Amino acid sequence: MADRPEYFFDFERKDWVPWTRRKFLGAAGVVAAGLAAGPLLEACGGGTAQPAAAPKAAVPTPRSGASIRLLQWVHFVPAADTEFVRQANEFSDKFGVKVAVERITADQLQTRTAAAVEANSGPDIIQMQYGWPHLYTTACEDVTNEVNILKQKLRDVAPVNDAFCKVEGVYRAVPYTIVPNAWTWRTDYFQKAGINEFPKTWDEFTQAATKIKTAGLPPIAQTVGHAYGDSLTMWNPVLWSFGGKEVNADGKTVAINSKETRTAVQWAQNAVKAGFVVHPEWLDPDNNQAYHADRISATLNGASIYIREKVEFKKFDKLSDNSIVPAGPKGLFTMNLIFNHAVMKWSPEKETAKALILYLMDKDNYFKYTTVAGGYNAGPFAGFDNDPVFFGPNADPKMKAFQQVVKPGKWPGWPAPPSKQTAQAQTQYIVADMFAKSLQNNGTGDMESAVKEAESRLKAIFERPS
Amino acid sequence: MATVARRAEEAVGGRPLHRRLLSSERGLGYLLLIPTLTLLVVFLAYPFLFGLWLSFSSAELTDLGRFIGLANYRFEFTVDKPFMQALTNTFLYTGVTTVFKLSLGMAMALLLNQVFPFQRFVRAALLLPWIIPTVLSTLAWKWMFDPTFSVVNWAAVHLHLVSFPGPNWFGSTGTALTALMIVNTWRGTPFYAIAFLAGLQTIPVDLYEAARVDGASRWHQFTHITLPMLRPVLLVVLLLSTILTFADFQVPFVLTNGAPFNSTHVLSTYSYLWGVTGGAIGLGASISLVLFPLLAILVAGTLLLIRRPE
Repeated sequence: MADRPEYFFDFERKDWVPWTRRKFLGAAGVVAAGLAAGPLLEACGGGTAQPAAAPKAAVPTPRSGASIRLLQWVHFVPAADTEFVRQANEFSDKFGVKVAVERITADQLQTRTAAAVEANSGPDIIQMQYGWPHLYTTACEDVTNEVNILKQKLRDVAPVNDAFCKVEGVYRAVPYTIVPNAWTWRTDYFQKAGINEFPKTWDEFTQAATKIKTAGLPPIAQTVGHAYGDSLTMWNPVLWSFGGKEVNADGKTVAINSKETRTAVQWAQNAVKAGFVVHPEWLDPDNNQAYHADRISATLNGASIYIREKVEFKKFDKLSDNSIVPAGPKGLFTMNLIFNHAVMKWSPEKETAKALILYLMDKDNYFKYTTVAGGYNAGPFAGFDNDPVFFGPNADPKMKAFQQVVKPGKWPGWPAPPSKQTAQAQTQYIVADMFAKSLQNNGTGDMESAVKEAESRLKAIFERPS
Repeated sequence: MATVARRAEEAVGGRPLHRRLLSSERGLGYLLLIPTLTLLVVFLAYPFLFGLWLSFSSAELTDLGRFIGLANYRFEFTVDKPFMQALTNTFLYTGVTTVFKLSLGMAMALLLNQVFPFQRFVRAALLLPWIIPTVLSTLAWKWMFDPTFSVVNWAAVHLHLVSFPGPNWFGSTGTALTALMIVNTWRGTPFYAIAFLAGLQTIPVDLYEAARVDGASRWHQFTHITLPMLRPVLLVVLLLSTILTFADFQVPFVLTNGAPFNSTHVLSTYSYLWGVTGGAIGLGASISLVLFPLLAILVAGTLLLIRRPE
């Protein structure tokens, strides 16, 4: 036993500490009381309504000598990779656990994940993007207990992470992070065009595009192609903010063929005619490169453009600002990249894997990570809302927009709950394709056929017998 | 006495099995085939049959599903509209690139078959597009066709071939598929050229000398000596290249990933879309196997042509 110390997570000391007899008896008492209270509350009709209020208290303990492989994306802000590995190594040193962090670009992450899931073998922890826990449910370990532990400390889970992680009432992934998407724009170009602040509505956005085009300045530009991040985060909120949706809240009835969808597409066509440039060929890095190359005056992206300008390139950082997504007639809607960590069922070291995730989600550790990432990430629990990277004394006020777009965030397929079907519709870029087809030839594409094609493709997915 | 006994034992077939196998030509033949057969079964037959089963099933990732007959195929041909686009693109992509690769490869091989300075260096350099990892060279092409940074457009504009800023290669349906074809042709031509060159070097020079004595023109020498003598190589190369182009994944995936709006999906990328990213591996398998009957006929026909005597 001496070489395999048993630890528990002490929330007061924010650290794993060895069990003592007193602590054990105390904890056992709490667990026993909890177990006894559950049926009692249930009998009184109040036991099952709030799972967060009565979490199982079994804190996972890392096993000394265990080896953990964690598959993650390559951060767009390289320093975040370093900090993440530093924390993993810290855990490793503390508990005698070998932690190997494997990295792959975010657009290739799903291929690796699908291969591992099909082979029923691979990394112990996989970073799940968007609604993957709904696609790979049976391969993901139940982590409700760990999420409850985090909820106890950090309060509510951000609704989008919650919707992605929870499958039929069971958490299949631990909420990890949000990559907020906001507009990064060139203040000098906007001022030259007579605009002093970024548009607050889509109509103002069209007017700004006109002014920038008239002034002969680099355009406001965005992808309308098959970019796993930027395309989805742009066109889904446009659709929602005009009242359009792919499918009803029942998750079954396809609802894209609507007056609201046509209004959204019509707006996009007018914006393109006015000077907003859309690129069907752009993938996620392309708008970053165009911005850094001084070819565009604004684009929707994660904070990486601004952060890299500030930290690496130092060319346009003082001439750049960030603003929240404009609102439509139905309000402000945003979509952000969402990542969560799943412990895979094939892992022989599930307990250690869960302990590692809890360690990384510790508030102090998490704030170190978001600080190094410079605000590229936002935390998925209410307890992270006061993140110093956004609100601390040294916070960059230009980063505030990235924090503000988190709350209005929705998921692909909204208002339907995330499901296998919404994930398939998302990976087929049906909404983006509908806009792309309508925006052909300088915004004069055939809107009717584009909407009908989107409807037909959505029906193929949502009405396909399983 | 012992020799007599052994002979008597052999006469009644009492030798150990391995001895009998090793001394019989037929037995040894089958024995030597075992490693190859094992490899074929493990790496070809099993995955193929498993894929075939998947295409007739409702399999999803982590769930083997149940047998649903031709439902996946029916779904693709009657419900899933982008599938027909992907099918058409696959035929266009394969047909057009094969014609170009064949003619350019033949021209290159004929040129390289001549004697000229740095002949060996040029022949080695010719293979470069084929030996560079496809994803790397495709990424380089992606930059060359990029609307913002395109060297292709820069050159075309400065040569006054097109007006500024030049075509948005991956931004419109026609040019995107054309760009895919250009990259595939660039990458595949050296394979044809080297194979044809190897074939050309096996043709006896005497035949050309005799033809020249008889007054045959260059064209006649090509059609009556070169082509017939190259026929086996030509058919094999054509067969392999057609199959590989039908199944090409890397170039379309890296360059466009189906955009703009599914106009550049080919069957391989579309199969990936449903099977891997969408998790419906049964459906994905049916998309990838849809051309199997056609390719089987193509292979059988080509093999018959190769075996047919002149």
